Amino acid sequence: MSENAYLQRLFQRYYSEKREDIPKVNSFEKREFGFIPWNKQIMIRHLAFRELGDLREKLALEGPRHVYSSGTLYEEPDHLDMNQKGYNGCDLIIDIDVDHFFTPCKEHHDTWSCKECGLTGKGMPDKKCKKCGNNKFKNVAWVCDKCLEIAKQSIVRLAHDFLLPDFGIQESELNIAFSGHRGYHIKIENEKMRSLSSDGRREIADYLSGNNISYEILGFKSKSNNIYGLRRENIGWSQKIMDKIEDLLKGPSSDIEHLLEKLNFSKNKIESFKNSKDVFLHIITSKNTQNIWAIEGYSHNGWITFLNGIAKEIGIEIDEPVTIDIHRLIRYPGTLHGKTGFKVQELTLKELDFFTPLDEPKKNLDPIVFYGKNVNLKLKIIDNVIPTIKIKGETFGPYKEGDIIEVPNHVAVMLLSKEVATLL
Amino acid sequence: MQVLAVQIELINHYPWLPSTKVIYSDILSEKPREFIKRLFLDYPLDEIYERVIRIFGAAFENKEEILNYKIDELNVYLYLLLKILLSIFNDNAIANRIANLYSKINYNELSIESDFVIYEICRDLELDILYYENPITYRIIIAKNQREEIKTKFTIHFTDYLNLAASMRDDFRKLVNNSLKNGEVFIQKRDLVRLLQEYVRKKVLSRQKLDKNSLEKSRQKLFKIDEFKQLHDRILLDWEKMRDDHEPLEFQWGEDFELTEIAPPCLKHVLHKASESQNLIHNERLFLVFLLHALKIPIEKIVKIFSTLPDFDRDKTLYQVNFALNKKYTPHKCDTLKSLNLCMAEKYKDELCLKGYYSIAKDEERKVNHPLTYMYVKQYRLSKTKIQDEMNKGKNE
Ligand code: SF4
Ligand SMILES: [Zn+2]
Ligand SMILES: [Zn+2]
Repeated sequence: MSENAYLQRLFQRYYSEKREDIPKVNSFEKREFGFIPWNKQIMIRHLAFRELGDLREKLALEGPRHVYSSGTLYEEPDHLDMNQKGYNGCDLIIDIDVDHFFTPCKEHHDTWSCKECGLTGKGMPDKKCKKCGNNKFKNVAWVCDKCLEIAKQSIVRLAHDFLLPDFGIQESELNIAFSGHRGYHIKIENEKMRSLSSDGRREIADYLSGNNISYEILGFKSKSNNIYGLRRENIGWSQKIMDKIEDLLKGPSSDIEHLLEKLNFSKNKIESFKNSKDVFLHIITSKNTQNIWAIEGYSHNGWITFLNGIAKEIGIEIDEPVTIDIHRLIRYPGTLHGKTGFKVQELTLKELDFFTPLDEPKKNLDPIVFYGKNVNLKLKIIDNVIPTIKIKGETFGPYKEGDIIEVPNHVAVMLLSKEVATLL
Repeated sequence: MQVLAVQIELINHYPWLPSTKVIYSDILSEKPREFIKRLFLDYPLDEIYERVIRIFGAAFENKEEILNYKIDELNVYLYLLLKILLSIFNDNAIANRIANLYSKINYNELSIESDFVIYEICRDLELDILYYENPITYRIIIAKNQREEIKTKFTIHFTDYLNLAASMRDDFRKLVNNSLKNGEVFIQKRDLVRLLQEYVRKKVLSRQKLDKNSLEKSRQKLFKIDEFKQLHDRILLDWEKMRDDHEPLEFQWGEDFELTEIAPPCLKHVLHKASESQNLIHNERLFLVFLLHALKIPIEKIVKIFSTLPDFDRDKTLYQVNFALNKKYTPHKCDTLKSLNLCMAEKYKDELCLKGYYSIAKDEERKVNHPLTYMYVKQYRLSKTKIQDEMNKGKNE
């Protein structure tokens, strides 16, 4: 039996045994559904379901590889013509995926190979192949507890530093889910936000990421050889930035050094900043101040670089196009991710705090649904290098092409889903 | 009976308010033809003509206000008539000019209203606004011995804010540069009024998209009313006359090609917007000035392009153009344009922008990284095909 057929059968069985675990999202009948099947790399779109039972039935019958539904509400979600669907607004979706940002451990567990010349490497590929200049790569991205922790922290900051305090969104309006692979998404269900255009959503994306800030508009300016900085009294990004700077100045000097190094400031400038640390702290915190930012070596541009660096620390690295697009499909909660066999796990903000997707003790939150400690499968590795993976507290790998291995069910499902192993 | 949120007077003053529908429900339920017939029966023809033509005339001349703007019941009818005319003309350039002027008139009127009226208007528009009796401080600016507290009595929910402000694409109005807390954006009264202006502009522009046939049908129906047909023709005549007075936006780059032939999507887009009298944001203006200047297009011509913009002021523009050019900036690179959201490569699905080109000199595939590069390549390609054409012609003869 082919691997895909095997996995499809597993998925079918899962969906027929766990019917009740597939939840009904709000405005269920108004959403468009999309499936990616096992036999072809295409998205079958423009589907809709009247009843939850119909969806559950279809899942059990077909056991699709990936299952999505729209953030958008339509009059006729199954109309084939996008313009005839009858757009009824769209939930705001925020996607945070390890694929889109740098994490140090990627250098150890992600690999790529050039589709043209076969050159391989670790971490994230360059824009173009160093050898042949082509820009098409095959990526093998691995699930990793460290990466997932970084993504999770981003979601936590997103909620607690932005969505709740600034946007006044209620916790109950947040639909958070672990994607089943390398990230999380939040779907915000808020009547008023549904009316936002793409332009409006872009503005929100900028606000969350801190892109396109104008420090001048926030109050930073140079005038007759003096530089007047931002103030924490100014509600909004100015306040966020100043809070961060205050934290930085109150913390150990090594933090400052670390940040300034990252921003490519020279040794002299870093020293000069460290020496002025206390004076600067006084200037930005005291009420009775002329607010002149004067540290030797820091010109207007130097400060802007510094502020950009601070803003980058505060901003959330979201996948912008997802937020801006008003016709996106996102993974349906409770369904299985076809590249891992893990479940798309819904979480409340509180549950998220202690959530550890690759080793979750709470049964009802555990995305690893094919967990089978004592069910071993024999596989043959067919990909160059497979890094060490830590799942359920156990470490597997590294493996290399040709290895014959025997691993528990959930690891086997993952390796097969990733198409780096075959059944023996 | 409905409780009238906004008094009749306010409706006469601002006929685009939703409450118009309640107070004038009788005329709004009429078919356009019935409505127009009745209008011409109920009001003196001269006055209708005069007032409508004055608005169109001022719009065609890019004026910012009109004299003797009257606030009476007829004002409501004229607003409706204006909208019918716009849908019959079905011309973006006309619609934009009217929307720009009309919204500006309303901005001027709104600017002198009391807090209370502004609040009432926002309520009528169902904008989620909060009003504070005692102004709240949300910003403070300290520069040397100056200390300025910035206060306001208004906040607006961010969704309503974005629905109006986002399309204005103005750095000062970007959410990230504003104060946001608990879902509320702190906003100065004049900025709120500016948002209302944007609302009016959009409202005037909003019209049903009719296909050619239905448009022609309703046209014919309305043209059966003589008075309407005459008014329509008169305005159209004014429009065409005005167009003849301004030469079209054609100018040459080099000698053989029209600018539009070789312009990259980003430039095309801005030129197109300008030609339709849509507003250009600050960055679009700068981009246009620097790029056109780099193409050695004379300042006079650059100013001419700006002359169609809704807020054109010749002296101011001349000054700004000269000022910008004296600073000797170089035109924006693609990267810059991308970060400013002005790159239109994706939108126009432009092959050259998206895929790059093959550089013979360097013997490699290269990406377009500057609009000037784009034009250079495009011109090269076009000249090659022209030479090819010439050669083919030669052969045939
Ligand atoms: S790629 Fe460059 S030239 Fe092309 S549209 Fe974008 S900014 Fe303009
Ligand atoms: Zn290669
Ligand atoms: Zn990792």
